[in-house]
Amino acid sequence: MSVSRPARCLFSHPPIPTVRPRVRCRNFHTSPNLCERRRPRFPNIKAADMGLVDKPMPPPQELFRAYSEEEKALLAKKYTPEQIRAIEAGEAAIRPEDLDRQGVVRTDAGTLPYLDDFRHYRNVVDKRPQDETPEDPNTRFMTEEELGRSFSDYFHKLDKENPPPVRKPPQAGDQQFNPTRLNLLRADYEAPSYMGTNGPLPAGQSLLAPALPKDFSLDDTPAVKKEAAQEEDDENARDQLGVYKQLRKQTGLTMDDIMKLRVKTLVINYVTNQTRLGKIQSVLVLAIAGNGNGRLGVGQAKGQEMENTLNLARIAAIRNMQPVPRYEDRTVYGEVEGKVSAVKVQLMARPPGFGLRCQHIIFEMARAAGIHDLAARVPRSRNKMNTVKAAYQALMKQRIPDEVARGLGKKLVDVRKVYYGGRV
Amino acid sequence: MSLVNLAHVCSHLQNASRARLGLTSVPSTNLHLTLLLALQNSGFLSSVTRGGITPPPMDQLSSYVPEPVTQSNIATRRLWLGLKYWNNEPVLSEMKMVSKPTKRVWMDVEGLGKIVRGRQAGEIKGLTRPGECMYVSTDKGILESRECVERRVGGMLLCRVL
Repeated sequence: MSVSRPARCLFSHPPIPTVRPRVRCRNFHTSPNLCERRRPRFPNIKAADMGLVDKPMPPPQELFRAYSEEEKALLAKKYTPEQIRAIEAGEAAIRPEDLDRQGVVRTDAGTLPYLDDFRHYRNVVDKRPQDETPEDPNTRFMTEEELGRSFSDYFHKLDKENPPPVRKPPQAGDQQFNPTRLNLLRADYEAPSYMGTNGPLPAGQSLLAPALPKDFSLDDTPAVKKEAAQEEDDENARDQLGVYKQLRKQTGLTMDDIMKLRVKTLVINYVTNQTRLGKIQSVLVLAIAGNGNGRLGVGQAKGQEMENTLNLARIAAIRNMQPVPRYEDRTVYGEVEGKVSAVKVQLMARPPGFGLRCQHIIFEMARAAGIHDLAARVPRSRNKMNTVKAAYQALMKQRIPDEVARGLGKKLVDVRKVYYGGRV
Repeated sequence: MSLVNLAHVCSHLQNASRARLGLTSVPSTNLHLTLLLALQNSGFLSSVTRGGITPPPMDQLSSYVPEPVTQSNIATRRLWLGLKYWNNEPVLSEMKMVSKPTKRVWMDVEGLGKIVRGRQAGEIKGLTRPGECMYVSTDKGILESRECVERRVGGMLLCRVL
């Protein structure tokens, strides 16, 4: 309410009470009238009703219930009373709260990169399991004769299983011994050399490496092929002009990936080439592309057609994307400087929550690269095109503290991470 | 304490690093020797050896005993420095004077504390780049600025190294 206007609602009385359109009265407070307050056109819908919120987990006592009487009866059919008592003791030893907290899929640093419950042995991924059968107390090394017999038996067995592809015709004085090299080595390595109570002990390990699984991919199956063709058609339908066709082919990016990138045209220059025959106009475009999470590229294109050149620059930027080193995924390492021609760009690290306080070109680049806290200075010339290039150069030539430490042979420690446990 | 000669050493080390030299030499003075030993202590140099006009034998750099300094050979004594490189880049890439022969700069512990934390103190810029060091001439010898702050001594700022 302004002081210059009278408060009509208090002091003015309409002389004749007639039916009139409602007069807008001014209040003494700044909030709008109750009748003028915005009402939502739809009632609020809770996220839980839309199924967006996970249901709260039941308490662990309900999640991991003790065995009911029926279950105990069923168990009693399978196990002896001693075993049942052992099971009950085991159940009592672990509290449901602990099971709820610790019996989960691990996500910490020691986790395996794949999901496995270790029930089955898998050839390539797992180490070979140790033999845990009880040892024979009467084990001894074979005598020379036994060893010779064991070797020759095993060799003949192998020779029968995998005969050499070509057998030499027996010659006079030859003892018909022309083994394949593999059979000979296998016999040497795998033939039993220890004698147990009940005859020779098997050597156990095979000379051959475990076979690699043969069908790694499902690419050739018709269902997958059909799906791939369908996907290809969808992609083509989304890119009808074929602007990104070559890029998709070369980089394997899908249209989804390309559309998710932050692509921005930063500089457009109209340039002219003066020739003998006259002036030739063209457009020079500089674009940047980033994924908003540590990758940034700069692309440049020149051409006659505006639309076409813009697309070319964007595609070049996407193709040139490279990882940008970031401190804590939010800012640069210390202070960096890039210089292209007369343009100098200084980028300076800043604390969390500082924001991007820099000129618009560097702002766009930082946003595309996923840098959230940055200060920048362009103290000399401010040519736009060279500013982009200098800023890119500065981002790319940061000195990484780990590398510096390796070079100096010193131990460098990030104080933020050490003293405050990374909670700063 | 000739800062002119020290400035020459600074630019010589920069040039030698850019030329990717493995071993180089500078004139031998007490100031140079203490500063270069401090640099070696920080890891910018791999070795500092006293010698003459010819370089000391490379295979026994650590056990090498230089010939004694006499009146006749003192003018030809030099310090032989081993330069370091990592990832195809020189470890010592930039070395600049802070005090100049015509304008020396002294700083107390408070100022040095600011500089070490990356703030500006007076007209001296802070150490904001990773691995940047500043060397200070104090009563306790030539120290790195962080060590100065730790030992609570101020002094004359000599040069900053990156």
